[in-house]
Amino acid sequence: MGTIRFSGVSKIYGGPTGVRALENVDLNVAEGEFVALLGPSGCGKSTLLNLLAGFETLTDGVLSFDGTSISKPGPDRGVVFQEASLMPWLTVWQNVVFGPQVSRVPRSVYEPRAQELLRLVGLEKFHDALPVQLSGGMRQRVGIARALVMQPKALLMDEPFGALDAQTRLSMQELLLDVWQRLKTTVLFVTHDIDEAILLADRVCIMTARPGRITRDIAIDLPRPRSIEALTSVEFIHYKATIMAEMRGAHAHH
Amino acid sequence: MEAGSLFRRLFRSRGGKWLLAAILPVMAVLLWQAAGTDGALAGGALPTPDRVWSAWITWAFGKAGPMTLSPYIGTWADNLGYSAMRVAKGFALAIVVGVPLGAVLGWSKWVAAMVDPSIQWLRPVPITAWLPISLAIFGIRDFGAVFLITIGAFYPIVINTTQGARDVEKSWIRAALMMGARPIDVLMRVVLPAALPSIFTGLRIGLGIGWTAVIVAEMVAVKSGLGYVLWDAYYVGRMDIVIADMVSIGLMGFLSDWLILRLEYSVLRWRRMQSFNG
Ligand SMILES: Nc1ncnc2c1ncn2[C@@H]1O[C@H](COP(=O)(O)OP(=O)(O)OP(=O)(O)O)[C@@H](O)[C@H]1O
Ligand SMILES: [Mg+2]
Repeated sequence: MGTIRFSGVSKIYGGPTGVRALENVDLNVAEGEFVALLGPSGCGKSTLLNLLAGFETLTDGVLSFDGTSISKPGPDRGVVFQEASLMPWLTVWQNVVFGPQVSRVPRSVYEPRAQELLRLVGLEKFHDALPVQLSGGMRQRVGIARALVMQPKALLMDEPFGALDAQTRLSMQELLLDVWQRLKTTVLFVTHDIDEAILLADRVCIMTARPGRITRDIAIDLPRPRSIEALTSVEFIHYKATIMAEMRGAHAHH
Repeated sequence: MEAGSLFRRLFRSRGGKWLLAAILPVMAVLLWQAAGTDGALAGGALPTPDRVWSAWITWAFGKAGPMTLSPYIGTWADNLGYSAMRVAKGFALAIVVGVPLGAVLGWSKWVAAMVDPSIQWLRPVPITAWLPISLAIFGIRDFGAVFLITIGAFYPIVINTTQGARDVEKSWIRAALMMGARPIDVLMRVVLPAALPSIFTGLRIGLGIGWTAVIVAEMVAVKSGLGYVLWDAYYVGRMDIVIADMVSIGLMGFLSDWLILRLEYSVLRWRRMQSFNG
């Protein structure tokens, strides 16, 4: 459950003469795997994620989730957006239970689940707050709880911590490691932060722009469960050097 | 005390704001009173404020005896009520049609391409131009007035709702779809609430036009209400009643706008906090 398969996927925006956002992308993600997509701005990371989420349709190739091809968005693929994108007129609680409510999940089922998730992301005290009353990090935690409450088979995260300051970002990364350790859902995580990719992921896929494609797929064999201490380990530095060399090399091709 | 700082202090206090707002009308009334001779000006055509006031008092509180024929004794509240009721009905109808239609227009490009041109093409036709049709279909009856108010209030409501629905952030809709929302959920739970600030703008403009429309309609299409009294009083040379009537219309429009603002204030708490937080 939660297996992802891109094979020969291309995406051209705006008709045949448009922008070639992705070209011939192959990517397999196994159940429970945490994969980071790393690459410079404009290389098609969001496009790849949006195809999987069902927000965009592909131009060519095959894209399947659990063996079925994707036609539209659905609660089996939870999405965490860069700016959280909470509904500003709903409270924290209403945002989190929005999904279960529109999906007709019985109240007795979703209430305890939503409460537990709010506790997990440390926001039980902000039950009735509006998104404007929260900090960026808190909003993003609501965004994570909102995606998880639907018990998705995969979590798709598009630079979820990109807008946060360094310290908040570290605590969010720890939170995510903790949540993933418990739930073991498949995660596809988009970032342009090398440290973040290594710290979180089992595999780091490096992408290049124009045309957007995956050039390297590097397994990260750091022990689990991980914490932010891993950031200063020798192995970590080693991975970082490899990835930086790879990205510089990819850049030099242009 | 220096005049500038006095004004600043007035402006900051609540009572002071009322005082500031009252300066212009009070001055206008005083000038108008002073300009008159023998209770009238402009060669006797315009009565002075004191005469308007006493006519108004009679119109509002006077007790008509069995022999009185004047329609301007104690009938103010009734006529005000007729007009307000018509505005309320017409406005409600305009909301019921305009808001859902606007939401769908803003949300679906297909529906917009089909319906929007017709709306834009009918919109320049003024309410007054609809009068003959309204009379022909509904006759001298209440619904004729309601119909005109609905038409007048409909355009700003539908246009503002459409605009609001069109500007809904894509990521809110995507988030809703990702959580399993069906199209109807997206419309009711995302597009409509997101468009509410624009909808309120449309409601305010629409209600203002509603009061214009009711006066026009009552002058022609019915035999009661502030608009009817206005025209009738003019015909019998009661300019004092005409002016009292005009002030009443202004007050009602002002009051109903204030009610919408109150409603907006309580409904759009999230929006207010957003703009205060910058
Ligand atoms: N809706 C769209 N219409 C047309 N072109 C688009 C659209 N979305 C993305 N593109 C183009 O496709 C390419 C890839 O965009 P994408 O957003 O996937 O990049 P990204 O890797 O997510 O970048 P960033 O790190 O800045 O978010 C870019 O050249 C972009 O201009
Ligand atoms: Mg992106």
